[in-house]
Amino acid sequence: MSSILSVRSLNRNFGGLRAIHDLSFELQRGAITSIVGPNGAGKSTLFNMFTGYLRPTSGQILFNNKSIVGLPPHLICGRGIARAFQIAKPFPQLSVEKNIWVAAEFGASGYRDPAAVVEHAIETCRLLPWRHAEASSLSVGTLRRLELACAMAARPTLLLADEPCAGLNETETREVTDVLLEIKAAGVTVLLVEHDMKAVRRISGRVIVIEAGRKIADGPPSDVLSNQVVIDAYLGSAA
Amino acid sequence: MKNPFHRPLSAFWLASSAIALIVAVILPAVLLPFHLRVLQQIFLFGGMAIAWGFLGGFTTYWSFGHTAFIGLGAFSSALFEQWLGPAIAPELRLACGLLIAVVITFAVAILIALPILKLRGVYFAIGMLAFAEILGEASRNFDIFQGAIGVSLPAVSLPGVSSVSLFYWLFLMLFVVNSLIFIALRRSRIGMGLICIGQDEDTANMLGVPAERHKRIAFVLSACMISIGGVLYAHSLGFITTGSVFRVEHSLDMIVFNMLGGIGTVIGPALGTAIMVFVTQIVLGRLLDYHLMLTGVILIAIVSLAPAGLIGLVESRYRRRRSTQIGTAL
Repeated sequence: MSSILSVRSLNRNFGGLRAIHDLSFELQRGAITSIVGPNGAGKSTLFNMFTGYLRPTSGQILFNNKSIVGLPPHLICGRGIARAFQIAKPFPQLSVEKNIWVAAEFGASGYRDPAAVVEHAIETCRLLPWRHAEASSLSVGTLRRLELACAMAARPTLLLADEPCAGLNETETREVTDVLLEIKAAGVTVLLVEHDMKAVRRISGRVIVIEAGRKIADGPPSDVLSNQVVIDAYLGSAA
Repeated sequence: MKNPFHRPLSAFWLASSAIALIVAVILPAVLLPFHLRVLQQIFLFGGMAIAWGFLGGFTTYWSFGHTAFIGLGAFSSALFEQWLGPAIAPELRLACGLLIAVVITFAVAILIALPILKLRGVYFAIGMLAFAEILGEASRNFDIFQGAIGVSLPAVSLPGVSSVSLFYWLFLMLFVVNSLIFIALRRSRIGMGLICIGQDEDTANMLGVPAERHKRIAFVLSACMISIGGVLYAHSLGFITTGSVFRVEHSLDMIVFNMLGGIGTVIGPALGTAIMVFVTQIVLGRLLDYHLMLTGVILIAIVSLAPAGLIGLVESRYRRRRSTQIGTAL
């Protein structure tokens, strides 16, 4: 089966800084893959390029075998890539329901019945008690699930989740990872950036480690996270 | 589940709007010309304030230069009708003037939309202010536009109808059309997109809202309807100069009327216009010196006491009362 996302010798410079350095990988359809690495390794830069907010300096990004380099964000969303932000950015004065409705209405081009999608997203992300609450009144954990619900409602085939567990307690982390597993079970490919190694180990089938914009390890979590290079670069010897 | 963005149109509102409209249509039969002139202003400037809200009501793209489109419409039609000459009936000239004004405004608005809608917040506001200044200065300083000496417009009339009543009905029509456009816009996908852009433009883009296109549609639509207002206004004046149609006060009024009544609604700007016109024309009719000062005082009062306007004030009162009722029921 062909890969859903294919990254080929990708480079991105900011002035003299090489944020992404000749990075290549293929993403298998229907799996959860995690990207880990120290802060500043280039994870957010990578996501920004996948969603059209940054242009690569060179290299290719193929989504379903078609290049998405240079497309504006709303068209990339229409092709089926959605992103949930680390710092949740909902529409603050709109209700949970309305937030999700917008994603359903505009997400995949040509969709006609958002209601069912919205109901499903609200249920999967356990947002029923908050459906009429203004987004600005939600707690961090609920907000993170709202982000995931919006991303889901856009009916993506690839979901980019940017540190969905950052700053959450153990219960909240478990809720979020459960939601991610359900999203995967629905057939969506998930690319996860996360610092919480417990969460990464629990849900991802494959881990890619990047440091200073280069890939330094790639494989199943048990192998990669015990790899000496990864421990030195990122996890620290105590891990 | 229904689309949560659709507010149901209640039968009560529909019925009262219909009655109000019928009353408004027959008013010229009973009112004195002076009072009709006051109502003329309410419908004209209220209609324009509603058109300002096509973009500014939903988003934070607050234009401080919408008088540009009043002037553009007024001068396009005036100069074209002058060129047509007196051999053609004034009513036909008005129709041609309207058409040409809309075409020109449409073209100019599309051109200016590309760069100016890239600016956000206060930069957009200042950009529009500058745009209006540029057009005003051009009309004043280039002789072909005759802005400094002024242009006369044909006196439009219908047999058996006074000019006051005729313009009253024309302004009323503009007001009704703009209100309907606003309601249709709010209930459309574009309106939903605009509301989201007003909340957070980046998130809107991220979720697939074609923000650029929606902003452009609202902007051009707003410009064209303001331009039509400008054409009718110019004909009601009979003679225009740069100073009468390119006025910063016109731009500011649209914002003040919206803020006073409540931005993002139809009733808001209509109510705001009615209050301000009533106060300045009738209460302060003999105290014109205090007019601008009063506008300033009202503006400060709204911003600090009722930032969501009178409609917002009423709504929050109503919501508070309802929530305490629910509270006691629990």
